[in-house]
Amino acid sequence: MEKETAIFTRELTRIFERGGEKIRALDNVNIEVPEGIIYGLLGPNGAGKTTLIRILATLLLPSSGFAYVGGYDVVREPDKVRSVINLVSGGERAGYGILTVKENLWFYSQLYGLGIREGWEKIEQLAELLDMKDFLNVRLNRISTGMAQKYSLARGLLNDPDILFLDEPTLGLDVGAARAIRKIIKAWVHQNQNKTILLTTHYMAEAEELCDLISIIHEGRIIATGSPTELKHRVSKEVIYKIEVKNISEEDMGGLKKEEAGIVGLSTSYDAYSNVLSIRLVMDTSDVSHIIRYIEKLNGRIISISKVEPTLEDVFLKLVGVGLSEY
Amino acid sequence: MNTRQYIYRGFKAALGRSYVRIKGGNREISWLLWEVILPLLMIASVVYTYRSMNAPSEFIGFVILGGAMMSFWFNVLWGMGSTLYWEKEKGNLEVLLASGAPLYGLLLGMALGGMFNTAVRAASVIIIGVYIFEASFNPATLPVAIIIFFLAMAALYSLGLSLASIYLMYSRSGWRASELLSEPIMFISGMYYPLSVFPIALQVVASAFPLAIGLDGIRRSLIYGETFGSLAVHMILLVVMAIILLRIGLWALEYMENKAKKEGRLILRWM
Ligand SMILES: Nc1ncnc2c1ncn2[C@@H]1O[C@H](COP(=O)(O)OP(=O)(O)OP(=O)(O)O)[C@@H](O)[C@H]1O
Ligand SMILES: [Mg+2]
Repeated sequence: MEKETAIFTRELTRIFERGGEKIRALDNVNIEVPEGIIYGLLGPNGAGKTTLIRILATLLLPSSGFAYVGGYDVVREPDKVRSVINLVSGGERAGYGILTVKENLWFYSQLYGLGIREGWEKIEQLAELLDMKDFLNVRLNRISTGMAQKYSLARGLLNDPDILFLDEPTLGLDVGAARAIRKIIKAWVHQNQNKTILLTTHYMAEAEELCDLISIIHEGRIIATGSPTELKHRVSKEVIYKIEVKNISEEDMGGLKKEEAGIVGLSTSYDAYSNVLSIRLVMDTSDVSHIIRYIEKLNGRIISISKVEPTLEDVFLKLVGVGLSEY
Repeated sequence: MNTRQYIYRGFKAALGRSYVRIKGGNREISWLLWEVILPLLMIASVVYTYRSMNAPSEFIGFVILGGAMMSFWFNVLWGMGSTLYWEKEKGNLEVLLASGAPLYGLLLGMALGGMFNTAVRAASVIIIGVYIFEASFNPATLPVAIIIFFLAMAALYSLGLSLASIYLMYSRSGWRASELLSEPIMFISGMYYPLSVFPIALQVVASAFPLAIGLDGIRRSLIYGETFGSLAVHMILLVVMAIILLRIGLWALEYMENKAKKEGRLILRWM
């Protein structure tokens, strides 16, 4: 296997058994992540993102297939894999509540095998990089979610990994905190050579903003891979409409016969405050007159119709038929 | 990982974890109640019972040493044994495993940090006990007693490795089992009286347990003034036990990790 490939999987499959029932969490997954990029796994809840990360981080065995991380086999050389990776999950706060952020980080530095003094120095450096000096001496059980995520990220960078796994890194953060985290992630990959990040997310915009390469994963299968631009190109032949309607429910819209109506994908979101249903349509024709008639027949009141630029959401809509947010 | 790295990373992990244990363990003052006042009360109740029965005066020394050693045992049983379980509950275990640091090191740190904390407390139990209850010890044989003490601690640590894996794998029932076991263990390890008061059969059973041998050796040296020669069997037994238990313990950790990776649950908090 070539040196420039950071992560590489072949026919990777993982089956869980729960109450006699078999769940195919990963189904013949093939990915190839070149060194030096941010790679995104985008998919709804239960798609298999965390399962894939756990296998790559040597915390779970595959049922079949194989995976290499940093050139090492995750099943046969877990120690070598562990020496070049780190793993951070959104919402985690691994450590000891009674100790301060700084003390916790030092504990981890020793776990990663850093020298005694080297550990303290590395913490100072990271505190600078992540802008966390003002809460270094606060106990871990007293910091906010946003601070905790920075702390976790600092822990993830302590051993200077070549490959960093981030599982939903902005989960549960407010807009400002999420932006700060994204900025750090980007800077780390772009300012260092040959550092690779594999992150999972179910936020389209996040994937689009951060990732050089994205795989869309659904029900354990990779259904598309490409750069954000390439992926959006997949809906370049389609026309995307956004329609806002009142007096109509999401179920009503579900009654539309998709094949007949030229609909490739349809997603709805209802805003209870304004009582407006937003419909996103990926169409293989620009003619929507029959859809307007359908809505009017149900006494829906159309507020606006507009053609919009495609996003990754529409790619997902086209590939899966329903929206990502509907999971 | 080659052997050198395995040992180096293990000791780094032990350093880190004992730092956490010592810092965290002393930050909250409740230990004073649990680890000094309660043992002293326990000792007091036994001492007064013995006095009222006109038991030989050296029994008082026995009880004080037993009480002090018992806190080391609780340290292994509750502190070290429950480590992996609690790390899992706090959501740390995955991160700890992925770090590549060997788990034996983490548990060693837990044991050493705990023993450091406990040593200070056990010493205060002994000093206060000696002062209040007027027990007397033979200082000349202190070196032998100390060697036996450390050998006993090594054997207990090795036992703790297996306990930690067992607690993790059978968390609830593991807890219950150790709760059930703690009384018989106090009984069989002769916390309140010399082992020699037991019938032979029970003495043999007791000697399979490192704490009992350690405690017996320490008492013989400190109270009866026995030296290296007559305590050699105790020491050899403890060394053999430590080695066998260490092998079993390391195997148990490996078994536990493999099981976790296969089943995909064990190390996850919410599973
Ligand atoms: N340890 C396990 N035992 C049994 N089933 C599991 C286990 N872990 C995951 N699964 C199942 O495997 C499937 C994939 O789960 P996974 O956590 O990988 O999804 P995900 O994409 O990370 O979802 P989310 O966005 O909710 O985090 C789900 O159906 C899940 O219930
Ligand atoms: Mg997940």
